[in-house]
Amino acid sequence: MAKTVIPFGPQHPVLPEPIQLKLVMEDEKVVEAIPAIGYVHRGLEKLAELKDFQQTVYIVERVCGICSFMHSMAYTQGIEKVMNIQIPERAEYLRTIWAEVGRIQSHLLWLGLLADAFGFESLFMETWKYREKVLDLMEMTTGNRVIISANKVGGTTKDLTPEHLKAILTTMDELTVLLKEVDKVFLQDYTVKKRTVGVGILTKADAEELCSVGPVARASGVKYDLRTTGYSAYKHLDFEPIIESAGDCYARTVIRIKDLHQSIQLIRQAVGQIPNGEIFVPFKGFPNGEVVSRIEQPRGEAVYYMKANGTKNLSRLKIRTPTFTNIPSLLKMLPGSDLPDVPVLVLTIDPCISCTER
Amino acid sequence: MLENFTEIEAKDILSQTKEYKKSGYRFAAMTCEHTGENFELTYHFDLNYELKNLRAVVDGKEPIDSISTVYPSAFLIENEFQDLYGLVFQGLIIDYKGNLYLTPDGPTTPMMKDKK
Repeated sequence: MAKTVIPFGPQHPVLPEPIQLKLVMEDEKVVEAIPAIGYVHRGLEKLAELKDFQQTVYIVERVCGICSFMHSMAYTQGIEKVMNIQIPERAEYLRTIWAEVGRIQSHLLWLGLLADAFGFESLFMETWKYREKVLDLMEMTTGNRVIISANKVGGTTKDLTPEHLKAILTTMDELTVLLKEVDKVFLQDYTVKKRTVGVGILTKADAEELCSVGPVARASGVKYDLRTTGYSAYKHLDFEPIIESAGDCYARTVIRIKDLHQSIQLIRQAVGQIPNGEIFVPFKGFPNGEVVSRIEQPRGEAVYYMKANGTKNLSRLKIRTPTFTNIPSLLKMLPGSDLPDVPVLVLTIDPCISCTER
Repeated sequence: MLENFTEIEAKDILSQTKEYKKSGYRFAAMTCEHTGENFELTYHFDLNYELKNLRAVVDGKEPIDSISTVYPSAFLIENEFQDLYGLVFQGLIIDYKGNLYLTPDGPTTPMMKDKK
């Protein structure tokens, strides 16, 4: 049978960001997919070399509009390691709380996009309505809804008042109730399951071979969650990585829904245990040395490599984001799938192209 | 200095990478830095949340062995370094020939130290 090449993207209704997949088709089946990126490359790593290492916090916050806080968390954590700065315990808890609030809004955004991809508009609207509550929480506690600028080298720029902590717990209680409604639809609805169960299977062996990370890896049975290494306040919190084994679009959905509930639990624990005290420790001098800092973002492991030479500028900042490392997994999932499943399948790696290209 | 750091010859990149693969390591990331005269290529491998870091210094005049034949997920980062530093990786499983991010009429090797 003759092969046809169909360009999927860079502009496509299900893609919030531009990526092109050249789909090699035999009839309605995908036999190969080749990615084309480069639409949003901004040269942020180069910019970081030209700026003061403290100004770079603001650059890395803009690597991604969704996991902005966690980018600055990975960066500041690395600089603090190379400068031997021990941040106050309260700051560690604050970072953990905002990171998990960020994970919730990121996963809710993704669930809405998934519902939109398979044409379930009311589910999409409902999910994003819940996300608004989380964004309101971010605005109330930091003054901003997405890029919250709460990190700086040595701690945090903002504190949470007792009223803030109470409001966070109230929102978590509300979300627990509300999520039950959408959980039911995502996990039990006949139409949703038809579009996700058995679609785009990534086996555990393939996930390991392709070095998948985050929900993509965990949905294929790979137990890999950097939070278990105990960075920030995670060392004080009780949790286990969430694992599924089917490796299909449904399993990747289940992982994120369970992640949402786990994040709520982590926030409750952190709010319950947060100690009083300072949120920032002053320091002097410039960083000197090399370090790798890693954290678990909503899409998986982010790797920050930093090399400093004792001046105010870093000589190198390298950022490896989770989508960058999950694209090969997507290329493995696509062959064998039907053309109408491609949008849903692409979305289940939760692609963040701005992160990928930086 | 990075923890678990080993410096190797460029000719040993592929063989060392195969050893890591055989020992169960996953390819976590790769870094390149232009030092003015040379390029430092650092490969980061992970096993049970512990990183091993391999570094090879290359002059950029000779092609470098691609590790994408061992770890397919390395093909994007090697293509990125072809774009940003003008390096050439031989044996890449998908080779964008310097046009992963950059267009043929766009800037060249923007991450070199002499480019501002």
